[in-house]
Amino acid sequence: MANEIIKELSLGFPIFFISAMGILLVIFDAITGKNKIINYIFAIAILSITICSAGWILFSQYYNEANNLVIHPISMGMLAYNGYAYIFDVIFGIAALLTIIAAREYNERAEFEYKEFYSLVVLATSGMMMIAHSADLLLMFIGIEFMSITFYVLAGYFRKRVTSVEAALKYFLLGAFASGFLLYGIALIYGATGTLTFQTISQKITAQDYNNLYLILGITLVFIGLSFKIAAFPFHQWAPDVYHGAPTVISGFLSTAGKAAAIFALILIGKNIMFVAIRTLDSNHIITLQNILAVLSAATMLVGNITAIAQNNVKRMLAYSSVAHAGYMLMGIVANTPDGWAGASFYAAVYVFMQIGSFAIVANLEDKDGEYLDFSHYSGLYKTRPFIAAMMVVFLLSLAGIPPFAGFFGKYYIFKTAIDAGYLWLTIVGIVSSLISVYFYLRLLIYIYFREATEQILDTSEPRAAGFTLLISAALTVLLGIFPSYLIELLLYLR
Amino acid sequence: MLIAVLSGFIVACIVPLIFKLNRKVAGALLSILPLSLFIFYLQFLPNVLAGEKILTTFYWIPSLKINLNFMIDGLNLLFALIISGIGFVVYLYASAYLAKSEKIVPFYIYISIFMASMLGVVTCNNTLALFVFWELTSISSFLLIGFNHEQERSRYAALQSLLVTAGGGLALLASVIIIGQIAGTYEISQMSAFHSNLINNALYPSILILFLIGTFTKSAQFPFHFWLPNAMEAPTPVSAYLHSATMVKAGVFLMIKFLPILGGTELWMWLLGGFGGWTMLMASTMALKQTDLKRLLAYSTVSVLGTLTMLIGLGGEKAISAMIIYLFAHSLYKGALFLTAGIIDHETGTRDIRNISGLRKYLPITALIGVLAALSGMGIIPFIGFIGKEMLYETALLSGQYSTLFITISVISAVNIFAVMAYSGILPFFGEYKSPSEHVHEAPFQMTSGPVAFALLGLVSGLFAGSTVDGLTNKALQSIFPSASHHLALFHGFNLPLLLSALTIVVGLIFVLNRKSLVEFIEKIRIPEYFFPSKWYDYIFNGTLSFAEIQTKFLQNGHLRYYIFTILALFILLVGGSFFGFNTSGSILNAFAISIERSIAGIDIYDISMLITVLIASVFALLSQGRLSAIASMGIVGALISLIYIIYGAPDLAMTQLSIETLSVILFVLVLYKLPRFFTYSKLKTRIRDLVIALAFGSIFTMIIIFVSAYGKFDTGLSEYFAQTSYLIGHGKNIVNVILVDFRGFDTMGEITVLSIAAVGVYSLLRLRKQGGEQ
Amino acid sequence: MEFVLAIIVGILATSAFYLMLRRSLVKVILGMVFLGNAVNLTIFSVARVTKGLAAFIPENASTLEGTYADPLPQALILTAIVIGFGTQAFAIALFRKAFQKVGDDDLDKMNSTDIMCNEDIPGDK
Repeated sequence: MANEIIKELSLGFPIFFISAMGILLVIFDAITGKNKIINYIFAIAILSITICSAGWILFSQYYNEANNLVIHPISMGMLAYNGYAYIFDVIFGIAALLTIIAAREYNERAEFEYKEFYSLVVLATSGMMMIAHSADLLLMFIGIEFMSITFYVLAGYFRKRVTSVEAALKYFLLGAFASGFLLYGIALIYGATGTLTFQTISQKITAQDYNNLYLILGITLVFIGLSFKIAAFPFHQWAPDVYHGAPTVISGFLSTAGKAAAIFALILIGKNIMFVAIRTLDSNHIITLQNILAVLSAATMLVGNITAIAQNNVKRMLAYSSVAHAGYMLMGIVANTPDGWAGASFYAAVYVFMQIGSFAIVANLEDKDGEYLDFSHYSGLYKTRPFIAAMMVVFLLSLAGIPPFAGFFGKYYIFKTAIDAGYLWLTIVGIVSSLISVYFYLRLLIYIYFREATEQILDTSEPRAAGFTLLISAALTVLLGIFPSYLIELLLYLR
Repeated sequence: MLIAVLSGFIVACIVPLIFKLNRKVAGALLSILPLSLFIFYLQFLPNVLAGEKILTTFYWIPSLKINLNFMIDGLNLLFALIISGIGFVVYLYASAYLAKSEKIVPFYIYISIFMASMLGVVTCNNTLALFVFWELTSISSFLLIGFNHEQERSRYAALQSLLVTAGGGLALLASVIIIGQIAGTYEISQMSAFHSNLINNALYPSILILFLIGTFTKSAQFPFHFWLPNAMEAPTPVSAYLHSATMVKAGVFLMIKFLPILGGTELWMWLLGGFGGWTMLMASTMALKQTDLKRLLAYSTVSVLGTLTMLIGLGGEKAISAMIIYLFAHSLYKGALFLTAGIIDHETGTRDIRNISGLRKYLPITALIGVLAALSGMGIIPFIGFIGKEMLYETALLSGQYSTLFITISVISAVNIFAVMAYSGILPFFGEYKSPSEHVHEAPFQMTSGPVAFALLGLVSGLFAGSTVDGLTNKALQSIFPSASHHLALFHGFNLPLLLSALTIVVGLIFVLNRKSLVEFIEKIRIPEYFFPSKWYDYIFNGTLSFAEIQTKFLQNGHLRYYIFTILALFILLVGGSFFGFNTSGSILNAFAISIERSIAGIDIYDISMLITVLIASVFALLSQGRLSAIASMGIVGALISLIYIIYGAPDLAMTQLSIETLSVILFVLVLYKLPRFFTYSKLKTRIRDLVIALAFGSIFTMIIIFVSAYGKFDTGLSEYFAQTSYLIGHGKNIVNVILVDFRGFDTMGEITVLSIAAVGVYSLLRLRKQGGEQ
Repeated sequence: MEFVLAIIVGILATSAFYLMLRRSLVKVILGMVFLGNAVNLTIFSVARVTKGLAAFIPENASTLEGTYADPLPQALILTAIVIGFGTQAFAIALFRKAFQKVGDDDLDKMNSTDIMCNEDIPGDK
């Protein structure tokens, strides 16, 4: 028994560590007085250790052996230590780390730095990791709630700005609503199969020992709930408002890691329920559901991209395009194959780096009142701020899906899996919408490179620590573009 | 070979460094790159002439089947040589042409990237890697067209060309993926084995159309041709290199490569022959009325590309051999003509052919180049252009039942091209001297040497066709038709093509001499604007923009309740829909019956009174004007629900519900007590609409419960397990409690954390007031 | 029994959504509370509903036999109620903040994140 406890402790070290430290950090907030730098460094240290430990477990493949271990004495089988869990741990960790590094000078410029910012980001990350490690619907739900509530608080963090408070309010009201759907759906899935554990659910479905009506209703509701979280059409309307109103670095975090977490939840549902149920006799409804999902995915891509065209505000443009990217990821879920999940995960990972990078740039150029976000403010940037301009090129080209940046391979992989799964039309919609997205990303590029500066870009300084965020995310965007096979092979191996 | 392709990218990175070291010789220094590439590819010539294929493999992304496999066969080598050879000339030319421009550094960066990617396109054997290079050429073309970015027109043209070509590229990607799916390989050299699988597949039409959208956009075929004339905003060396000699031929290149893979069908022939022929005819006619030297050349390029496409569509051995010669000749003379146009522009400051004439006085070498190149383009014996045109006529004559059609349009276009060549390469140099600029003098050596070489090569390769280009073009032909061979000769005897050539020259001369009346005649043909594909582009572009705005205003109006409204509407559609999906043989009505029947026995006075109280309290909450009364009715509803929990055997729930309800009422009252009364914000109509939606939603809830209670219960396996083991394992008799703290203790932990985060959130929202920071 | 519960849930859900579609922020929050109750009650009633028998193991027994209320959904609902309260408290705090900022509880006054579509878009290329 003791042996097994130690084993689980070492397996679950990243998640246990970050949850414990997150709570500790909150307590720490109360006692450290006015000194914020300690919390900042502490948060960075926690995240680094988490990333390293998850990475170590991943590369030493320590967990493989653990799959055979039936008893997890600490979590009673509610935590899973296999599949993509550790990959997503690393992704979430890096996203949080990049956000926190960039956040400090941003908050300082806005003259609004409070300690709980850092602890909240760490807590959100532990919530996401809870989703990544959940072996059980209820734990997944709690992880999502955990993450969402921290997000509501973070979105309204700039409580002196009307837009921020308003963002929090909209996010919160609609998010709470979504959680209701999610919970309801989970209850129905429980009703259908009599269990909440993913493994048992798939066993029951394979054995045809379930109630089809509840299952379908349940899955539908869970999908609606999760569509909110990834901001898929028509549940996307909160996203632009929230990403626009929230502090810019947080928008980067919400729209990437938050989306990746929800995508992972969708993968869990897909893998353990949809994929199994589609092989049963009564699979017609599942196929219908898949088709509905395909339509939603197509609509998400189109609506996100088409609305992004009309934007003259960079932050809002990124917000809308983020909706479209959710559509691309959803294609992997629609495909409903191991390849599709790997594709969606790869895309989510890549998206984290490019989107956080571009939001960090927006954050750097923003002034203390959150102004200077229009396209026209970016004109001639290549002369005034060459470093930032060069970084932005990498991110924008990658977001637009232009080879050889990582975004292209993400898209390619997704398109390929969709065609494999017989959704040629969806791929064509994807292609059309990528073309639309090329327009507005390149439009920003034209402002940055092809236009002369009309007005001097304000008093913001060159990035200091945020420069690391930019460099790391740009490096990862390029590296994942030149050597994507490592991550892809890992994903395929772990399916 | 990988290094050869990547060298361009590497050099692109060090361009700024070279310019920092020595600005004067940097351009010349950089031209070593294309020259050495040319020599590198030239060393494969003996092997290729011996009939070998050189293959190299480099695994890039094996999991996605994207590998950097390169292949050199006759066709690839021909293209690689053209690209690096013309590249050398253009590098050298630009070092003088842009010597004074401060943007010379980005120019060399972009063009190096372009050359590398273009070499990638023509030597890559893996379709996916090819696509990567393909898109990179579009991007570098975009950057080069937008080179003079101070001008609105430049930016417009750059974006237009990118949207058209990159969009086409994406269509190509889709077709390549499907082909890969069907053939099971992404290697071009292995695909032709699956020819019959592909053309008999049900997806063949979509594959072909997607494929052709990709190649047509790149090679500026109707209806995507409009971007090419606009792309003339780029500096002239770029137009010469990308937009006449190399990049626009990438589409043609891919079409020949895929002829043995997708070709040989009626559909192939009609799509390529039809669009190619029409492009050829239309563009050559449009070219006649142009006055800008570069646009003149651009339209003639489009026309030639149309010819090439048509020839690939016809698709026999003869057609392909004609196509290869025609393409080779075109690269030489068009490159030379563009570079001449650049010199004229550089020296006189204008490109309008109406303002310049008699330049040979001051630009003798340029004049020589212009004339030689134009003669080749006109198809005058003994230039290589003549051979190309003869072969074109020959093929058109042999093209079966529609040969009359093909030969007619070929001759008309040839006549037009004849005139266009004369306008652009000969007329500016003859007649009375006229130039807007005073100081016209011959261009430096770097600018003239390359075009001279092209012009002379056009003559030499024509005169000695049998001994010079014959070998390589034969191998190029054989990489498509392994058993075919051709023998090039200047003179094939007196035959119909020769007669047609003579006719072309005669009519062409008439056109040349009567330019004014010809242009007047063409201008008389009025075609409504909306027939032009370039207008379609504008319509689609602007239409999308205004649609985006309308859609944004509609969907994204910032009003929270409309968001909720949309969601509800869709939810009703989705869940209601999936619900009725199960409605076989009136089972919903049946469910009602069953449920009522089953429940009626159990209903007692408590149930009824509860129902009525809930109803009254809810209605009161909806209608009340005062905040306190609304909150009070909320509290009443909460209390009633805890009563329900008590009645139905859930005392734990009842306790929690009651205490929480009390707490939240207190909270509400504390925070909200001093707020004003509710206002009635919305109109009656809105309220009725909202009520209808809400009712629909409420009834779905009701229906679900009724359905569930009528048709089978929840699976309670797990509950039974808990009931059995809660005392034995968990040592507790209240099962709910045991579940919460023991079986699912982890969830409860999470729940507590969620609560604490909420507390942090509340704290962080409210603390500001305490500090008095912002009010 | 279920029939009555079903009707009650229907009433609650209807009022919840009607309230959520109002412009007044307080009403929206009230609507959320109603919705929470409705969902909890739904989960409760689709599980096994039995009058009066709680899921307690009798004094003298170690396992529970016969008919009894389904304990697992109850545990679920308990979690939901508590989390619901947390979110409610947060909502009220948020509301307070918004009210201070805007000085009104009209949601329509809170659409400053609305886009302002500039007219010059088609021109800028």
